[in-house]
Amino acid sequence: MRFVLRSIILCAMAVGALSLLIWGPRPQEKLPPDRQHDVVIQYWEKWVGDEAHDMQMIVDDFNRTVGRQKHIYVQYLSISNIDQKTIVATAGGVPPDVAGLWDGTFVQFTALDALQPLDDLAAAHGITDGYYKPIYWKACHYHGHLYSLISTPASVALIYNKRIFHESAQQLRDAGLDPDRPPRTIHEFDQYAQALDTFSVGPDGKKHLERAGYIPMEPASNWYVNDLPFWFGGDVWDPVARRFTLTDPRVVQTYDWVQSYSRRLGQDAVGEFSGAQGGFNTPQNAFMMGTVAMEMQGPWMALYIHLQKPSMDGDWAAAAFPSAVPGMENVTYCPWDGLMIPRGSKHRVEAFEFIAYVNRQDVMERLCSMHCKNSPLARVSQDFLKHHPNPYIRVFEELANSPNAHSTMQCPIAPEAGADILAMIQGLVALERDPASGKVITPLQALQRNQARLTATWQNYLKQEQRRAAHEHSEP
Amino acid sequence: MTYLGLLAVSAIALMPFLWMISTSLKTDEHLSDYPPQLVPVPTQWVNYKNAVMSEKAKFPLWTRNTLIIAVLAALGTTASSSIAAYGFAKIRFPGRGLLFAIMLGTMMIPFPTLMVPQFNIFEWLGSHTGIPWIGTFRPLWVPWWFGSAFNIFLLRQFFMTIPDELSEAARIDGCNEWGIFWRIVLPLARPALTVVALFTFMFVWRDFLAPRIYLQHPSQYTLTLGLQAFQAQNGFTPWNLLMAASVLVIAPLIVLFFMAQKTFIEGIATTGLKG
Amino acid sequence: MTRTNGQSRNFLKGMAFLSPWLVGFLVFMLLPIGLSLYYSVCDYSILQPPVFCGWDNYRLLLFHDDLFWQVMRNTAYYAVLVLPLGLVASLGAALLLNRKVPGQSIFRTIVFLPSLVPLVASAIVWMWIYNQKLGLLNAIIRMLCVPPNALLRLLHLPQFSPIQPPWIVDARWVIPALVLMTVWGMGNQVIIYLAGLQDVPRELYEAADLDGANSFRKLIHVTLPMISPVIFFNLVTMMIWVLQVYDAPFIISGGTGGPNHASYLMSMYLYDEGFFYLRMGYASAIAWMQLLIIVAMTAAAFWTSRRWVYYQGK
Repeated sequence: MRFVLRSIILCAMAVGALSLLIWGPRPQEKLPPDRQHDVVIQYWEKWVGDEAHDMQMIVDDFNRTVGRQKHIYVQYLSISNIDQKTIVATAGGVPPDVAGLWDGTFVQFTALDALQPLDDLAAAHGITDGYYKPIYWKACHYHGHLYSLISTPASVALIYNKRIFHESAQQLRDAGLDPDRPPRTIHEFDQYAQALDTFSVGPDGKKHLERAGYIPMEPASNWYVNDLPFWFGGDVWDPVARRFTLTDPRVVQTYDWVQSYSRRLGQDAVGEFSGAQGGFNTPQNAFMMGTVAMEMQGPWMALYIHLQKPSMDGDWAAAAFPSAVPGMENVTYCPWDGLMIPRGSKHRVEAFEFIAYVNRQDVMERLCSMHCKNSPLARVSQDFLKHHPNPYIRVFEELANSPNAHSTMQCPIAPEAGADILAMIQGLVALERDPASGKVITPLQALQRNQARLTATWQNYLKQEQRRAAHEHSEP
Repeated sequence: MTYLGLLAVSAIALMPFLWMISTSLKTDEHLSDYPPQLVPVPTQWVNYKNAVMSEKAKFPLWTRNTLIIAVLAALGTTASSSIAAYGFAKIRFPGRGLLFAIMLGTMMIPFPTLMVPQFNIFEWLGSHTGIPWIGTFRPLWVPWWFGSAFNIFLLRQFFMTIPDELSEAARIDGCNEWGIFWRIVLPLARPALTVVALFTFMFVWRDFLAPRIYLQHPSQYTLTLGLQAFQAQNGFTPWNLLMAASVLVIAPLIVLFFMAQKTFIEGIATTGLKG
Repeated sequence: MTRTNGQSRNFLKGMAFLSPWLVGFLVFMLLPIGLSLYYSVCDYSILQPPVFCGWDNYRLLLFHDDLFWQVMRNTAYYAVLVLPLGLVASLGAALLLNRKVPGQSIFRTIVFLPSLVPLVASAIVWMWIYNQKLGLLNAIIRMLCVPPNALLRLLHLPQFSPIQPPWIVDARWVIPALVLMTVWGMGNQVIIYLAGLQDVPRELYEAADLDGANSFRKLIHVTLPMISPVIFFNLVTMMIWVLQVYDAPFIISGGTGGPNHASYLMSMYLYDEGFFYLRMGYASAIAWMQLLIIVAMTAAAFWTSRRWVYYQGK
């Protein structure tokens, strides 16, 4: 009986498999018949899911219009970890024609001569200084040349829960704060955060943090902890002298501020909130559960809240994240996703046609709207602002236009530096102790240690650069 | 008593899987519930249909692709690994020990360091033999036809337990080495071969590293690559659909395992994994 | 020294059978392995050709890289916990699954299930399970503390608050969390143990029964020695695997190897150096150090195996 059942199931599976093999859909790499003689452009992107789908629509539109005219056909492949795939393919001599990488990998690739300069092509299409917002134009350059254009940019701001502000209006007023507006300086910000912290008392009599005003390392805000020095007027990298400046007093001040939250609330509470209280991209996101009142996040937050917790749509607002420097307003950090042409790609001109198409104002605004991000272009249409899924998009646009906008450090070892600094911050937030002295490691000590390590790594990198240059000269 | 132990172990093993199924049946609003409900009410079975019929999903295509690669890999590795294992197990020749050590060594080299040179080899093969490799399924199943160290090791251990007297008798009867392999050893080894085929099939079914590196067109995606259609980076991940899709992806493997259990667990037993 | 006719014939026969593996090795493995060794003495960023640099990579790795030594410590800590626990847990599970109870096949499938669940699904589940405040594991601990606490209350004694470890956000708890997560997924080992267990000759158990041995003594004196080769096989494969585990620590630390590099294991370090920092030369040096370690460990295992592994056929 058992045997019969087993045989039936196995046969059914075999029949299913066979019919799939014989009659199933086949991988279809052929071009449509009327496009057989077109130049085929391979475009690899990093997105998945809906975001990938949005770009697919734009690729389809290009193929239908400009591509048909100019005999260019774009084949679109979008998968995660596209940087690894691009690296391996470029090394193997078969790179994609357009690679959708991001700001972190951009500098790495450029420093290794792995991207083709785009100055002439951009100029030919009328994309010059003045077409982009200054911060993005600067970010796409390395050593004076243009190596990338933008696919979607972002700027980050303070996202705060208006409803919690109103519900806690009494506590805020008691602290001398206005519940109808967000904090405007870091000092005020700390006061708001403290006033909004809510505690409960456990059965053992200990106070327990139920809701926090702000937690620097909680899974949404921690995306940009490495960039916090900008709000304090400092930077970990000096682009002119090309060296690390982790021990700059303003950087120390930044991480003193970050650690102050752990000192005030206790590392247990902070750890609990930092511990993926539901990670960012889960149904248990802290902001959406109302356990955190303020965050530093990007414009996509609006779409996120709208899809995951539409009941919260009217409850939140965005404003510039306050800075610690009096008079320094509208500080922001601008990450971006770009379109680049790797070295070795054979169809530079055609590839750029597609990149230029994406950068046409109507196309770019459509893409940024779908991805719920701001636009990198200097000129922005009223339609874009009016129909954008983020009701506070003007805040993000204004921030991106601000003279106090910053982008990622233009240092070839940026990924490594970023990882190192993040690990350091994790230790600071956990109030890690020095095993020798038993005392909590201060930000100054940690920064000094990292400064030494990163400087050594950077020196090593420069040595490697020299060796490579010498090697190239000696080669015929 | 044993039952209690079994239940405890099963509960632990089953928990994440149960959570997967429970999430796959939730409606959108209840996804964000805290604490999460274990048995979703209302139960939305249509999630499975939505996952399969979704515009972004191409389950039949992905399944077919994955099926082709996994079946070819499983067949190839069973054939080639058994042949090589026989050589290591049953034929005494000078240098055998050294080659066996080298083979074991290849299991120990971390894959990331080999990735780039291997890619370049496939690219070179493609441009010098006229048969394209990168951007096709070939790099995903052809190497399995040249034996896999783990499987060769496993089968060698198994072959070594088959008594030499059987081979000797056949040799006296005039059988050549291949005949002994084909007619005596292989039939006795059926359970071990089933394990090798099944484990390889399962591994390739769920592999995403190799497909991501070598495939270059979305219509070539395997199931695990296709699952990404249900994710998002800065957007909204439909967890219920993602879980439903994941359950569908591993369902055939669960059924296969259940069916094949008796064959190899009790079959391997007659001689066992020693030697 | 002249080879005898038989030996040379055997050599040809052996080579013939080995040929599929040999060809594959020569085409797909030999060159990459050789190149990897070459890269370890070069600066190699993948995007640029390798440039010879002598022993620099090794020198920096062994004498100037604190992170490497921390990674070694982490990996060692992980190995020390996961090897015994994994062996014992999967053996225990296999012993349980070996009993003839109704629904045996179902139980076996259930235990194998974890190794089939796709990473993207199990990742989110584990993040939730390990959440300090809202997660399942701490909830279970809280529940387990209720009866003792109730008893204490009855006796008017002070109660204790259940320990609620922070798990994956705490440097001290993240490796144990990782160990639990990986032991959960060891279905393959259980299957191999099951196969080995079937093989113990029934006569030995019967003889032990006649001698009046209880279950425990039967386990120690009959079962374990007879399956010692299987234990050995699993031990060696697990040792190799410990140095290559990537997915679990990546997921649990959100890709950072945190907190503060506490869950940074060897394979993640290697991958980061090679593909994120584009220092493939350095990564290759790490790979070869890793290989040396695993070869040493395997050799040690083989050497000690003579003491405790018992081959039935010999």
